[in-house]
Parts: sequence; structure tokens; C-alpha cells
Amino acid sequence: MREGARFFLSDAILRAFQNMRGNLFPILTTIGIIGISMLIFSTFSLFAFNLTSILKIWEDKIEVIAYLKKGVPAGEVENVLKRIRQLEGVEAVKYISPSDAMSFMEKKLGSQRNLLEGIQPGVLPSSFEIQLKKDYRNSLGIKEVVFHLKQFRQIEEVQYGQEWVETFSGIVHVFRLTQWIMGGLLLIGLMFIISNTLQLTISSRKEEIEIMHIVGASPASIQVPFYIEGLIQGLLGTGLAIVFLFFLYYKVLLYKVFFLYLTPVMKEWFAGIPVLFLPLKTVVIILIGGMIFGLFGSFVASMRFLKYSG
Amino acid sequence: MIQLDHVFKVYPSQIAALSDVSLEISSGEFTFIAGPSGSGKTTLLRILFGAERPTSGEVTVNSMRITENHFRKIYQLRRTMGFVFQDFKLLKDRTVGENIAFALRVTGHPQKDIQPRVSEVLQWVGLQEREKDSVLTLSAGEQQRVAIARALVHTPPLLLADEPTGNLDAQMAADVMKIFAALHRHGTTIVFATNDTELTKHYPYRAIYLENGRKVEK
Repeated sequence: MREGARFFLSDAILRAFQNMRGNLFPILTTIGIIGISMLIFSTFSLFAFNLTSILKIWEDKIEVIAYLKKGVPAGEVENVLKRIRQLEGVEAVKYISPSDAMSFMEKKLGSQRNLLEGIQPGVLPSSFEIQLKKDYRNSLGIKEVVFHLKQFRQIEEVQYGQEWVETFSGIVHVFRLTQWIMGGLLLIGLMFIISNTLQLTISSRKEEIEIMHIVGASPASIQVPFYIEGLIQGLLGTGLAIVFLFFLYYKVLLYKVFFLYLTPVMKEWFAGIPVLFLPLKTVVIILIGGMIFGLFGSFVASMRFLKYSG
Repeated sequence: MIQLDHVFKVYPSQIAALSDVSLEISSGEFTFIAGPSGSGKTTLLRILFGAERPTSGEVTVNSMRITENHFRKIYQLRRTMGFVFQDFKLLKDRTVGENIAFALRVTGHPQKDIQPRVSEVLQWVGLQEREKDSVLTLSAGEQQRVAIARALVHTPPLLLADEPTGNLDAQMAADVMKIFAALHRHGTTIVFATNDTELTKHYPYRAIYLENGRKVEK
């Protein structure tokens, strides 16, 4: 039985390759169409991935600063620091003493640091720089942490750039929603295109299929080679799309556009933002997705053309 | 070998292709199904072949009842019979040998058994010299002989032929008939549909006549 299944599978694979060799034009057309479809999807994924990484960089910059009242004794500062660390949503807390704040300002002012001459560090307030856990880096999460911070009688003021955080949270929400909707629509469209293209391949072999039915080929032995062809076409089309996308990314996006055609201001703005290619894991998922599309497309197409009849 | 019991076939358009047809064909028999176009010959053969189901009645072929339950395993029935069509149904982009080998390949025969069997059946139909030729280079009569060879490749005990001489001139038709007669002598059961009632008179075989889907006596 096991031997029979192995023979059946190896025969189906052999026939799939023979069929492909004997029908090169429709097969290449299908691979091309799958390739273009998957290129559109991969390009969308690349943009989505880079936008997500940009949002992540911005997200990491979200922090809360709590200014201490003047004259809080050092022992109490230690106690407050400990209690803030215990708050839900707080990832890390850093104490900034007045002299740390002064050094920071000097560094920021650079050559104009002489403006600070005569100012004693004691004028500046002590503060805590509070980094939040990932789940709390949004409007609601921050408000919750800020609410708890405001309960400390030693804290004078809490700053977190409320407007910016709210706008950012809105952008992230809209982007994620768009990503899912667009991605979903794109996938449905791709499935439709791929299954119709594979139908063309199958319909071009209508006579052959009819004869298979006549001579008593089993439904599985008729269908399985088509499924294997679908898998192979899906893999080749998607592989081509990924290679082409990498070429576009490497030659056009990374060098030509970002380094030649950007204005100096834009270049500076983008300098801190890396333009990334899709991670290996995503590439593998897209390749497997392409194979599943091919398989599913063949399956849908076969329901129409491979129905067992006369 | 074949048994039809009060078989009706009515198409959705309410056209009755077969009305109350009952018949029995024994193993090794040569039977003509004769009648004008539209008399139900092709429908009868398609039912025997498992390509269509009767609307009502019982059909048994090679001990298998052609019912809904068996419809999914119809390919097993088809391996016990050969079918020859009026329009040959050959793959035009392949050679004579490839057309025959195709039938064996898609039914899972080991590669080593295919070539000897192809040569054997081509010898049977007298086309052993044309094995490597494209089917497009053959005459209509030769193409029909290739179709017969393909139908014989599984050594079926039953051969169904739907007007196999319909597209052939008298000489070619006579050559093809000789092959059917030889197969019959070797014990193959043959059901031969034709609208040429004269043909049925030239051979000493039983003829069943159909008109408007009904069996008639002549």
C-alpha cells in the first residue's frame, strides 16, 4: 500500500513535469501572471513592513517625564523611584538629577553652551524618564500611567506630549486597519486571478483530460498532477516575484531613489530610518503562500474542468 | 455482461432520449445498436460507459450497477471496457505510439510494460510501421485504427463503438469492420452503434433497433 502510494506520487510528479514541458507557453504565462500578482503583494508587504518599522522607531521614542518637586530628600527620591518601577505598564525608569539635566542641556546647545554660564544646576528640577511597556505606548495606556504618577505628592508635573501621542496612536490604528483591509482585498483578488489563470492552463488541455476520463484514469491520478503543477507554478512565480522585488529594493529603492533623488532635508529626515528588505521568515511565508495559492487555484480550477464525466 | 431493465433517460429539457428500454447482451456477443440520428443510440452507449445516469431503471455492466453510488468509481468500470468514437478523439500533437501509451501511462502502468503493449496492439490493427508518425499524417481510417488500438490497450472484455465507421469511406469502413470482427472472434463483447441499417444486414450479428428512444422490431 505504502509502495503503491509512493509509486503514485512519484508518477504524479513525473507527469506534472512532463505536462509542464509539453505545455510551456501556457505554463510560462501562468508563472508570469502569478509572479506579477505576487510582486504586487510582496511590494505591499515591503511597504507595510517598512512603515511598521518606522512606526516602531517612533513608538520606542514615546516616554513620560515626571518632574519632582523642589526639596524632595534623596532618601524619598529612592522610594519614589522604587514605587514607579512597580507601576503596571512601566518598563524602565531613569532618574535625572539637576546636574544630569544641566549636562544634557549643555550637550544640546553645543557651541552655544555659554548661554548657560552663571546658571546653577540647582535651578533645574530633578526628573524621572519613564519608558513604557509596549502595550502601554498608546494614548490610553499613557493616560493610565500618568494618572498613577499624578497621585505621588512628590511629583510636580508630568509631561508626555499628549497631542503627539494621540495623533500617533490614531495613525497606528488607521495604518493597521488599512494594512489588514488592503492585504485581505489583495489576497482575494490574487486568489481570483491565479485560479482563473490556472483554469486557462487546464482548459488548454481539455482534450487530454477528456481522454484520461475515457481510458479510465482515476480522478486522483488526473487531479494530483494538476495540483503539483499548481504548487510548482506558485513557487516559481512567487520566487521570481521575490527576486525581482529584491532587485528593485537593492537597485532602485535603496540607492537610486533614497540617495540620489531626495532633497537634503528629506535625506536628513530619512537618515535615521533604515529602509529594510523583508525578513527571511516573511520571504519564506510569502513563498509558502504562493505555493498554497497555486494549489488552491488548481483545486478551484479543477472543480470546473476535471469533473468526472464522459 | 450487459443488462438494461426498463431504462428511461429524460433530459432536463423534458426530451426523452430513452423510453422503457430493456435488453440483455451476453458475454462474447457482437450487437449492433441501430437507428437514425436522435434515436437514442449515443445516450444508450453513454449510459453503458457511465458518462450519464439513467433517469429510472436498472443498468448492469460487467457486474457493476450504474447507479449513483457507483458513479464515483466509474473509472474502474471504464478500465474494463474500451470506447471508440466517430471523431476518433486522438491527441493531435502526439505520435501514434504516444497516443496509445498515454492510456497506459495515466492508468498507472509501469513504464517497462508500456512499450511492448503499444507494439502489440499496433500490430493488431496493422499500424506497427506508423508508431513514430504524428497522427496528423494518417488517413481517417488509420486514425480510427489508432483509436481502436487505444481502446484495446487494457485488453477489455467489452468494446463500445459509437458510429466508428461514420466518418470513413466504404473501403476504410470495411477495414475497420474487419478489425471489429476479428476482435469478436477472439471473444471480445462488442456493442456497435450505427445509423447505417444496411451495415447491420451485411454481418451475421444481432441488431437492436431504436427509434425516438424506444426499442422497435424490424
